[in-house]
Amino acid sequence: MKILRINMSGNPTAKFEELGEYEGLGGRALTSAVISKEVDPLCHPLSADNKLVIAPGLLGGTAAAMSGRVSVGCKSPLTGGIKEANAGGQAGQVLGRLGIAAIVLEGKPEGNDTYKVYINKDEVRIEKDNSIKMLPNYDLIDRMKKEYGEKIACVSIGPAGEMKLSGASVAITDMELRPTRHAGRGGVGAVMGSKGVKVIVLDDTGTTPRQPKDAEAFKDANKRFVAGLQKHPVTGQGLPAYGTNVLTNIINEVGAYPTYNFKEGRFQGARKISGEVEAELEKQRGGNPTHGCHRGCVIRCSGIYHDKDGHYLTKQPEYETVWALGGNCGIDDIDKIAMMDFLCDNYGLDTIEMGATIAVAMEAGILKWGDADGAINLLHEVGKGTPLGRIIGNGAAFTGRAFAVERVPVVKGQALPAYDPRAVQGIGVTYATSPMGADHTAGYSIALNVLKTGGFVDPLKPEGQVDLSRNLQIATAFIDSTGMCLFIAFALLDQPETNQALLDMLNAFYGWNMTDKDVVEYGKKVLKFERDFNTRAGFTKQHDRLPRFFYKEPIPPHNVVFQVKDEELDQLFNW
Amino acid sequence: MQAPEAFMKLTVKLFGGIKSTKDFPKNEEGDLIVELPSEISVAELIDELSLNKKPFIVVLNGVILHDLAIKLKDGDKLSFFPPIAGGLLN
Ligand code: SF4
Repeated sequence: MKILRINMSGNPTAKFEELGEYEGLGGRALTSAVISKEVDPLCHPLSADNKLVIAPGLLGGTAAAMSGRVSVGCKSPLTGGIKEANAGGQAGQVLGRLGIAAIVLEGKPEGNDTYKVYINKDEVRIEKDNSIKMLPNYDLIDRMKKEYGEKIACVSIGPAGEMKLSGASVAITDMELRPTRHAGRGGVGAVMGSKGVKVIVLDDTGTTPRQPKDAEAFKDANKRFVAGLQKHPVTGQGLPAYGTNVLTNIINEVGAYPTYNFKEGRFQGARKISGEVEAELEKQRGGNPTHGCHRGCVIRCSGIYHDKDGHYLTKQPEYETVWALGGNCGIDDIDKIAMMDFLCDNYGLDTIEMGATIAVAMEAGILKWGDADGAINLLHEVGKGTPLGRIIGNGAAFTGRAFAVERVPVVKGQALPAYDPRAVQGIGVTYATSPMGADHTAGYSIALNVLKTGGFVDPLKPEGQVDLSRNLQIATAFIDSTGMCLFIAFALLDQPETNQALLDMLNAFYGWNMTDKDVVEYGKKVLKFERDFNTRAGFTKQHDRLPRFFYKEPIPPHNVVFQVKDEELDQLFNW
Repeated sequence: MQAPEAFMKLTVKLFGGIKSTKDFPKNEEGDLIVELPSEISVAELIDELSLNKKPFIVVLNGVILHDLAIKLKDGDKLSFFPPIAGGLLN
């Protein structure tokens, strides 16, 4: 495996390099190590000094099930700190098969030209192509298919990335070659835009899967791993049947579904936009409620969503998307939410940041609560780059400042996702302390606080939440580095033998002797890269806090405030 | 004359394909309205409901239950979620 460095300054160049000091790192570990070691933490995120790192995980491109996630890292224009956002889709597997451990985009072109990069097993071509400027993602991918055929995977940005908006995502194509999977958070798309790179076309024709050191042991471990995922109720039944949006009803019932910009914990219209309803509509309209976002996924939490006329509209909107653009804005029309999901994918925007931002705009009085058509129009404004659109496209914190809104739910400038930190205090700890800014995936306490996977910690009480979040943040940093989809964690937490199967697989592949203890050390190392970067970028413990209204405004129905003390939050990284 | 037996009225919401094999009256939202003698526990209610699947998570008035022996009272609202939500109460 090699690192491919593409320097966009002057005449763009590409060169392959040995992994060297980055040996043994993959996915998030690799992106965070490169950013931490090579990027000036004080640089402007859109400057030539920032880098965009795109890395498959340790098992990317192998025959391991679930191993296709790809990590995208940089200094974030949204948070000003380090960022790793990861996505499914085909790019992770294809990069692995091409022998690429990471693509590092460096430098910055001087002019305003737009470039595309084509990579296959024999060559890397960097081509100027101003005819693709400002194309939305779907149109862009259609063009790429015509040019390069159907056996490709694409990593691309939409107009939002080209405009360098802080809510811009990096899109990854799925198995149907649609740009539906997004490294959404933190404005990674804006950094790709600042490099002048519109799309990276990956073609693995003529390659084979990466081969393990011990083929037999690898095969056996993979078999046990898959069996474990299939037998667990969440990964074997719930996620395949209803997707992640199965969470809407339960999070709503436990009073942790933030509604009207985090004013209430329950939404009247929740049932109408639930995963059960989504799955039923998908079946009725000829879509598909059970679908994998990349080859080798056995959980298949994704789906295909058709419109009322039975035509493809978008992939099955995720729980967080449905919340952000739905319940949080008081919108209970699932078709309109699906349309907004499509628009975000097409313009290249983070659905969570956009939903939180539209709610802030509603709070500012720009739109009425529940105005789905108004929200759709706002997203079009972002895509067009009107002055209002550019404000919205820069996220909730920026929009809150522009319109003098007091209640802005962000940490380190990044919007809070779909779980209220007062009704699920463990996730509040993760939001506050993750080096990424508010991020539910960084330490998904919902698993234990609500879903009772791997144990139980009372969600309404502050006790035990810091330890819970710490352990999950460490474990997650490791999983994000393997290239495995985070949803395997449900089975890993409940079934020690499935956890062991994953370790056996890694050990058989690399010839390692990794134990659970090494996993913890690996996760800590990743977090240390990230914390170090943030410290040098000027972050202090005061940045590891929630906005103060979460400590003061009790949320109905439980009427609780966030109760984990500041001093306790400061203990999170004390290991 | 005998004192009327104490009754309680519970609202039961069933999610993700869980159904009761018995016939209960429903409110406008489609939730079951279950009237029963008081002093019944959650575990006893589960028997009474005779569900087609075994529930994994029970939410009582918005709080996740850890103990099925808890006694119910008039006006309580319960929600049942299937294995989709994982859990210990199986
Ligand atoms: S479980 Fe879902 S998100 Fe994860 S790899 Fe499969 S389809 Fe993608």
